[in-house]
Amino acid sequence: MNSSTSNSRKLYLKIWLIAVFGMAAAMVLIRLFTFAMGAKGEDFISRPLEALASLPVITAETEEQVMVFGSSMVQAGFSARQFDRELKQQGINVKSYNFGFGGLNPYFQDFVSRRIKEAYQENDKRLKLAILEFNPFQTTKTRFDRAKPAIDAYVGMLGSPQELRDILTSDLERGLLIYNIHYLRDNISAEMVTFFFGRPFRSGRPEPDVPKETAEVVKRRRELGRELSKRFKEDYPDFGDEDWSYAWQGAGTIPEERSQETLDVFKEYYEYQRTPYRLAGDKLWREVSADITHLHFEEELVLAFIRLVKEFQQFSDQVEVVLLPKNSAWIENTPAALERQARVIRRIEEATGVTIKDYQNLPEITPEMFSDTTHLARYSGDVAFTHFLVNTYADDIRRLLEK
Amino acid sequence: MIFNTPIFFFFFIIFLFFYGFVFLRQTPKVYFILVSSLVFYGAWNYHFIPLLVGSAVADYFIAQAIGNCTDQRRKKLWVALSISINLGILALFKYADFALQSVADFLLLFGYEASIPTLQWVLPVGISFYTFQSLSYTIDVYRGDMEPRKGLVEFTAALSFFPQLVAGPILRARHILPQMHNIQLPQWDQVKQGFLLITVGLMKKTTADLLAVPAATAFDGSQSVSLLETWTGVLAFAGQIYGDFSGYSDMAIGIAMLLGFNLPLNFRLPYFASSPVDFWRRWHISLSSWLRDYLYVSLGGNRTGHRYRNVFITMLLGGLWHGAAWTFIAWGMFHGMIITATHYLSSLPALQTFIGNQNIWARIARWAMTFYLILIGWVLFRATSLDSAFTILMDMHLLNDLPEAAQAALPVFGLVVLALGLMHWLDYFVIHHVEKLKERAWLFWSLLVLGQGLCLLVGEPSNEFIYFQF
Repeated sequence: MNSSTSNSRKLYLKIWLIAVFGMAAAMVLIRLFTFAMGAKGEDFISRPLEALASLPVITAETEEQVMVFGSSMVQAGFSARQFDRELKQQGINVKSYNFGFGGLNPYFQDFVSRRIKEAYQENDKRLKLAILEFNPFQTTKTRFDRAKPAIDAYVGMLGSPQELRDILTSDLERGLLIYNIHYLRDNISAEMVTFFFGRPFRSGRPEPDVPKETAEVVKRRRELGRELSKRFKEDYPDFGDEDWSYAWQGAGTIPEERSQETLDVFKEYYEYQRTPYRLAGDKLWREVSADITHLHFEEELVLAFIRLVKEFQQFSDQVEVVLLPKNSAWIENTPAALERQARVIRRIEEATGVTIKDYQNLPEITPEMFSDTTHLARYSGDVAFTHFLVNTYADDIRRLLEK
Repeated sequence: MIFNTPIFFFFFIIFLFFYGFVFLRQTPKVYFILVSSLVFYGAWNYHFIPLLVGSAVADYFIAQAIGNCTDQRRKKLWVALSISINLGILALFKYADFALQSVADFLLLFGYEASIPTLQWVLPVGISFYTFQSLSYTIDVYRGDMEPRKGLVEFTAALSFFPQLVAGPILRARHILPQMHNIQLPQWDQVKQGFLLITVGLMKKTTADLLAVPAATAFDGSQSVSLLETWTGVLAFAGQIYGDFSGYSDMAIGIAMLLGFNLPLNFRLPYFASSPVDFWRRWHISLSSWLRDYLYVSLGGNRTGHRYRNVFITMLLGGLWHGAAWTFIAWGMFHGMIITATHYLSSLPALQTFIGNQNIWARIARWAMTFYLILIGWVLFRATSLDSAFTILMDMHLLNDLPEAAQAALPVFGLVVLALGLMHWLDYFVIHHVEKLKERAWLFWSLLVLGQGLCLLVGEPSNEFIYFQF
């Protein structure tokens, strides 16, 4: 080896080491930063991750099962244990689960559905009935655009190792990015950090054109909120602070477990939640963040929803797709939006063979049963809607169990 | 493959390993650069590798033919062939659809609804850069400014050299070919400068990504914006395009330095310019000097008595180089007009005192006027249509019927100004004060790691480089 070759190798060893260790040091700084901030990617989607972690136990159970899957509207609007109780009174024994997750549009739900399918197929178990929510405003372009900062981080957390490898082989650039976020950045992408710190500089929640709440109203609501928290701690001292409770089958508490006094506090609390100012603000926010009135659908999300229905069809005896009740006192779609919605529904029906049931305007669900413009309220809305589901699907479930 | 992505980092680490430890001799190094550059290009779309290589091969042999020719008329024919091939490729891939659509729009003005089919071809990334680079070689040989060089692989490796392949700087053959012919080991100071430029480029690119958000608020037309938000958006775009493009150039120059190559400076504090002419001496220097040497001079330059016309045509075509749209043509024409106006006004004795005045206020006034004109130009450049540009220009200057500014508008404006300042401070620091920092090794490397860490912490979902589309 002559001296110039040796010099060249020495210099390039230095350059190579600087490049590698410089990047490693920068990554360490990032980990230190996220650690100091107490940020973990898993915290953003803890409910679905906890639900998925419970699947080995769920699929090992001997009972026949029903799953209601969808958005936070399912989370708030379906009471799993009440569903089971009411069916039991009709002589039908099933165990149901609430797999409703806020913040996941169909693109992410598709990943979750695959993990559920894998768990059921691994244990050779099938769902008797899967009720899947098609949520129009979760399927809009606006919703998709707003989720973009989180896409790669969420895919890293919700994707299987094989799916991540598939992304890597089909799109090396994106695959490496996802691996990087998943394994080196603790599931916190740069986009998520920017989004977080950029919040003060983005347009805040729009102000509704109605009089603001009085200080007394705000104060009373806070008092009631604190009172409810106190009562919850007293009633459920062993609650483990999880986002998805296996003991409660993914849903919340049920009225039978609470005292009449507590239920009255809840009732008053929701009345203070439903002030015109808050509801108008909530509606405006849904328009900004989800295009809830005009519904311009995102093709990618429609396709993802079709895929997830097909996933459920592979391990369910019957799959139903439903639209959950909407607060029609506040949310009114334009004729063009309804036409777009009808077209998308037809597409999903044609692609999956499932007839979609529209429960958006049920007479038994009134505006007073909502906690805001989209979510059903606990102990009233969820009870009424769950009761409706029992009445609607009891015969189907009985027939499926007899098969 | 974008410089600020994990895939490029892995590509470069692997490349460096082979470049520094395996391919140590000149010839294998050149072959390795060529293959790696084609891999780099192919990672975007391998279907266009033949176009890139074909363009290089054609110009290589045309240059040889020109060099072997004694007859001036035949030389002219050869160089005309080279120009036809290069501009033909550009016309076909970049301008054909625009031309066809414009014909259809024109006929529509007279009531003829013509259904003209368009090609709808994908635009090969970096095509405008490598065709100009390749063209400069044949023109230089034709003009006798350089001898045709032997070595097709060397020439193709130089043309496709991955640090500068997709977004410049546009290299001259006489600058890069000698370096490719005799690849040098970088000096330690060059290595430090290379890493510094990569970090600074990364920081500017990251800042540009952040500025894309307020820029989009003003330009995308999806919401009504206030006077303050309009100005914020225009300033943000000025920062975005500067950070995006100069950041990429810095990274390209820095990466090349680590490999032993010196690429020319492409930006020199452009928003400090004191006149539109001065701006083009500082902005995208490799393009503006290319246009000057190969277009403006070919049109006759200052000599034929048609200086203003030549400047105007050069800038108009410079605008068109950036993209096939009327907004780019309008941008080019606008710069043509303000440069010719500057030349004209500076020839007036009454204004020569002002132009030559070194008083601080006179300098600030010249700078402010220039910056204002540059911003007007960016509105034409960024707007999605001429109508939209007109609306934004109106919104910048009229108070009528504009909505109230959002709550966060003032802090966002402040941040945009801060970001613009930061990018220029970084450039100023690199140009004027970096030597002192380099002497303090620990501080130097720590700051670089900190800078890289900051960049890795920040991200916006859409981080494509703007200049890739040109």
